[in-house]
Amino acid sequence: MGYPLEKASAMGSERSVESQSTADASKISYHRHMPWLVVSALIGCWWVVSALHIFTPLALPSPVHVVRDGYVIATTGYNGYSLLDNIGASVLRIAVGFFAAIIVGVPVGLLMASSKLVFNAIDPLLQFFRPIPPLAYIPVMIIWFGAGQMSKFILIFICTIPIIIINAMSGAKNVQETRIRVAQVFGADRHQLLRYVILPSALPEIFTGMRVGIGVAWTCLVAAEMIAAQTGLGAMILTAGNELRTGVVFVGIILIGIIGYLMELTIRTVERRLIPWKGKA
Amino acid sequence: MIEIRQVQKTYPPVNGASEPVVALESVDVTIQPGEFVTVVGPSGCGKTTLLNMVAGFEHPTQGSILLDGQEVRQPGPERAVVFQQPSLLPWLTIEDNVAFGITIGHGKSQLDRGRLEGLMQTMGLSEFSRHYPYQLSGGMQQRCAIARAVITDPAILLMDEPFGALDAQTRSDMQRFLLALWTDLHHTVLFITHDVEEAILLADRVLVMTPRPGHIAKELKINLARPRYWDMVMAPEFTEYKRKILAVLRPESSARPASG
Ligand SMILES: Nc1ncnc2c1ncn2[C@@H]1O[C@H](COP(=O)(O)OP(=O)(O)O)[C@@H](O)[C@H]1O
Ligand SMILES: [Mg+2]
Repeated sequence: MGYPLEKASAMGSERSVESQSTADASKISYHRHMPWLVVSALIGCWWVVSALHIFTPLALPSPVHVVRDGYVIATTGYNGYSLLDNIGASVLRIAVGFFAAIIVGVPVGLLMASSKLVFNAIDPLLQFFRPIPPLAYIPVMIIWFGAGQMSKFILIFICTIPIIIINAMSGAKNVQETRIRVAQVFGADRHQLLRYVILPSALPEIFTGMRVGIGVAWTCLVAAEMIAAQTGLGAMILTAGNELRTGVVFVGIILIGIIGYLMELTIRTVERRLIPWKGKA
Repeated sequence: MIEIRQVQKTYPPVNGASEPVVALESVDVTIQPGEFVTVVGPSGCGKTTLLNMVAGFEHPTQGSILLDGQEVRQPGPERAVVFQQPSLLPWLTIEDNVAFGITIGHGKSQLDRGRLEGLMQTMGLSEFSRHYPYQLSGGMQQRCAIARAVITDPAILLMDEPFGALDAQTRSDMQRFLLALWTDLHHTVLFITHDVEEAILLADRVLVMTPRPGHIAKELKINLARPRYWDMVMAPEFTEYKRKILAVLRPESSARPASG
C-alpha cells in the first residue's frame, strides 16, 4: 500500500510530489558537455579536411583563417562598417519586425480561434500570403517602402506573422473544454475567458510559434539584406562573397548561427519562467 | 429545487452512422434543497450528459430542467461543478485556483482573505497555497477543485465522478471529507459515480441508471443514520441496498442458481 493510514489527519498530510533524485546528477553534468563536444568535433573535422588541401582555401578556408578574418573585421571593420554595426543592424531589424509580428499576431490568432467571423475574414489572406517566399516580396517592398529600414521591418513582419497567428490560434483552439466550463460556471464573459483561460492556455503553443518564427526571421532578413542593404550580416556576407573573401563569409554565417542560437536560448528562458507548468498539465 | 422533467437527449449520428445516439430518455427527477443525491450506473449510460444539462453546458432535446421554477439555460455560479479531472488552471497557484470564482465574479479585490484561508485550512491545503497544481498529488488537486467550487457559496454542487481517478485510501478520505463539508454547508448535491458503495454511503437517495437508452431504472431512498462511517458498508441494511442496486445493474448475476 505504502500509504499512511493516519485517520482524519491524512487529509493534510500528503506530501508534495516534487523532488529531484540526485543520483543522476553526474549524468546531467555529462549531458551538459555534449554541445561543446559536438562543436569541438566538428571544428576538428573541418580543420583536418582543410589541412589535407582537398579543396582550395578559397572554397574551404581553415578554421585558423576564419578566426583571423573574424579578428580583423571585429577590430577594423569590413567594407566601411564595423562588425558591431553589422550585427546591430541585423538584430534591430529582427527585433522590430518580429516583435511587431508577435504583438499583432497573438491577438489576431486568439480572435480567429474564438470568432468564426474573424476566422473567415482573415484565414483566406493568411493562407494566400503564407506560401509566398520572402524573396518574392523584395522588389515590391523596395518600390513601396524604399531601400531603407522600413522595408526590412515589414518583410520580417510579413514572413513571421503567419507562424505566430497559426500557433496562437491552434493553442486557443486546443484549450481543454473543462477549463472553459470552469470559467463559465463562475459567469466569465468573453473577455474574461480570453484573458484568464484562453491566453494562458495558448502560451505554450505561442512560444513554439516564436521559436519557429525567429528562425524564419533570420532567413528572410538575410535575403532582404542581400538585395538592398549596405549594413547587416547578410549584406556583409554578400559583399565578401563577391570579393571572394570566403573567410569573411564564414564569419558571417557563424555569427548568424550564434546569434540565432542566443535568441532561441533567450526565448527558452523566458518560456521556462513564464510557463513552468508546460508539459505537466 | 431542481426539477428534471421528461428529459430526452439525443446526439447527432456519430461517424456516418444513420441513427442518432439517444443518450437519455424520459428522465424525470426532482431534487429537494439540501438533498444529497447520487447517480450510479455503468459507463456510457448518460450520467455525464445528465449532469452537463443541469450545469447548463448542454440542453435537453426534449423536456426541461427547472431550477427553482426557472428553466436552466446556461451555467451559473449557484451551480458549482467538480469534474472527474481536477481541471485546475496550471498557471495559477493553489490559492489563486481556489479564489478563481471570486476573481471572475467579483474581481480579486473583493476576495475575503479570512474566508479563503479558513477554507484552505479546512481542505488541508494551507501549506500548499503557493504551490502550483502540478506539484500536488491527485487527491490534493481534487480537494483544491472542491474548494474552488464551494468558495462562491453555491446552492448546488454538481460532481461528476470526482473521486473516480483516486486510489482507494484517498477516495475514502475524500468521501469523509465531502460529507463533513456537506454537513456544514448543506448545499444540494448531485453526485455521479460508477461505484455502488460510494453511491450508497454518501446519499440520501440513489438514482440507478442503465444504458441503451440511458434512463433511471430505479430510485432508492437510503435511510442509513448520519453521520456515515466507512464501516457501515458491512451493515446488513447497507448490503441490502447494494443487493437491490446490483440486481438492476447486473440482472443476470442476481439470477444465478442457489447452489452456485
Ligand atoms: N457529444 C456527444 N456526441 C455524441 N454522442 C455522445 C456525446 N456525448 C456523449 N455521447 C454518448 O452519449 C452516451 C452517454 O454518455 P455519457 O453521458 O458521457 O455517459 P457516462 O457519463 O454515464 O459514462 C454515450 O453513449 C456517449 O457515447
Ligand atoms: Mg461520465
